Amino acid sequence: MPKAITYKANSVIYFRGDTGDKIYILKGGRISLNSNDIETGQDIHDQIQTGEFFGVKSAMGKYPREETALVLTDASVIAFSVPEFEQLVSKNTRVIMKMLKVFSNQLRRLHGKVSTLLAQDEQSDPEEGLYRIGEYYLRKKEYSKARYAFNKYLTYYPSGRFHQDANKFAQTAEAYLLKYGSGKGPTAVGLSAPSSPSGGSAASPGSSARDSSSGLSNVAQKYYDAVSTFSQQKYPEALASFKHIAESSDDEEYTVKALFEIGRCLYTMQQYDAAIKHFTSFVQRYPKSPDLKDALFYVGQSYQQKGEKERAGSFYSKILSMEPVEDGLKRKVQKAVRSLEQEA
Amino acid sequence: MELNSGAFERFAVTFDKGEIIFCEYEPGDSFYLIQSGRVQISKIMGGLEKTVDILHPGEIFGEMAILEEAPRSANAIAIDDVKALEFNRANFEILMRGNPQIALKLLKLFTKRVYDQRRRFMILTLDDVSAKVADVFLMLNEMKPPDNLESDERVFHTTAEDIAHWAGISPEKARDVIQHFASQRRLELMTDRIIVKNINEFVRFVNSRRRQV
Repeated sequence: MPKAITYKANSVIYFRGDTGDKIYILKGGRISLNSNDIETGQDIHDQIQTGEFFGVKSAMGKYPREETALVLTDASVIAFSVPEFEQLVSKNTRVIMKMLKVFSNQLRRLHGKVSTLLAQDEQSDPEEGLYRIGEYYLRKKEYSKARYAFNKYLTYYPSGRFHQDANKFAQTAEAYLLKYGSGKGPTAVGLSAPSSPSGGSAASPGSSARDSSSGLSNVAQKYYDAVSTFSQQKYPEALASFKHIAESSDDEEYTVKALFEIGRCLYTMQQYDAAIKHFTSFVQRYPKSPDLKDALFYVGQSYQQKGEKERAGSFYSKILSMEPVEDGLKRKVQKAVRSLEQEA
Repeated sequence: MELNSGAFERFAVTFDKGEIIFCEYEPGDSFYLIQSGRVQISKIMGGLEKTVDILHPGEIFGEMAILEEAPRSANAIAIDDVKALEFNRANFEILMRGNPQIALKLLKLFTKRVYDQRRRFMILTLDDVSAKVADVFLMLNEMKPPDNLESDERVFHTTAEDIAHWAGISPEKARDVIQHFASQRRLELMTDRIIVKNINEFVRFVNSRRRQV
């Protein structure tokens, strides 16, 4: 049976590192979950809202508690065993959905932290990653897998950096599969060396050094012209110019900048679905772009304009979790969060 | 997991033996519940394909796609002829409403993912390379409770490459550290396994190297 328990102020329900099989829900009073940031060691105090569950992960997974649950003012809670909790929430899948969202947010943040700490950033560029998988399988003579990867590449990046090779190798894989069968046949020609260093291609920072000698390069000139068109509120014209730069420039820096501006044009022209789609793929392709957080902000704004408040909110909180957030953007995001709350 | 079949038949998909279900880096918007057959989860690292997991009927994979559209983090390949139910964000809620058991299963899966990721992060925050390697052994030990609790010795079916992967260091560096531990008789290096002589000594070593918080 779930048990109602009352705690006096300053008592502790459980300590960090304890193992416990109870899950709690706060009925009244104030309780704080105290922990240290696993990265900086900073103290974190998280106040639990009335009606909120706590101790879920550690009890369900039988892991040590990650925080200390400190009672701030006299409080009453209900304690559940894991089976009791499961029975309770299985009647209300919305609660589970909500928790899934919380956990997935935590997971996303952890993922981000882990990948920033990993020295050998395993292929951070999904476009190149997908292409290399095709190469790997082709080298292994696993033709149907190679064909799958190359075809997926061509689906998602029809005019991507490797589209010509992907196209060629997809055909090679197809032909070899029919002619020789899996595991047989000659090695396909023109594959890059195995496990080539991941950042070795266009993504390397060196590529923008090319035009440094000639003052403001041609592409830079075009880019700033387009920016000025945008500021004159001639959005369709600006969009066309940015598209042209993104497609024709061989200078990665301006390609990325132009791609970002395309999204801004779409948003300003109230094409929210297109803006979301564009910025989402932008973020995936250029996770290291200095405009990353701004791109996420526009995604959030687009969702807000579409009335999808919850989604908008999750983007805003994601941005705010990505320290350091530049002051101007931070204020914009905080303002957007407030406007969401007023709408609610 | 028994699903009152008929109702979910429209979500059923099949894959032939050896077929790719999805591959790493592909944008993902669906996740799968295996009905029959096994699925291999693999990653290609340093020119080698590594099996991360083998999943059986009743298990779920691709679940990160439920809440966000991010590139897949591994390959999923059918080991046998596989039948699975395929869900996406749109029909996910239908599934949840009809099947709280699956919802709970997902919740547990996410609990584990968060814990694993936190644990991994703890390894990476260590400054000392030897401590990182030792902590990888501790993590592997926590994942698989030992058969014999009386003994301090632990056997790990792992390689220097795997250790390097978890510790976020190069395989050469990992091999150096493992060799050094071996020369100190703290572990024994075999072709297919690594034996840690005293796991508790590793616990003390890692704790002494962890920044006090």
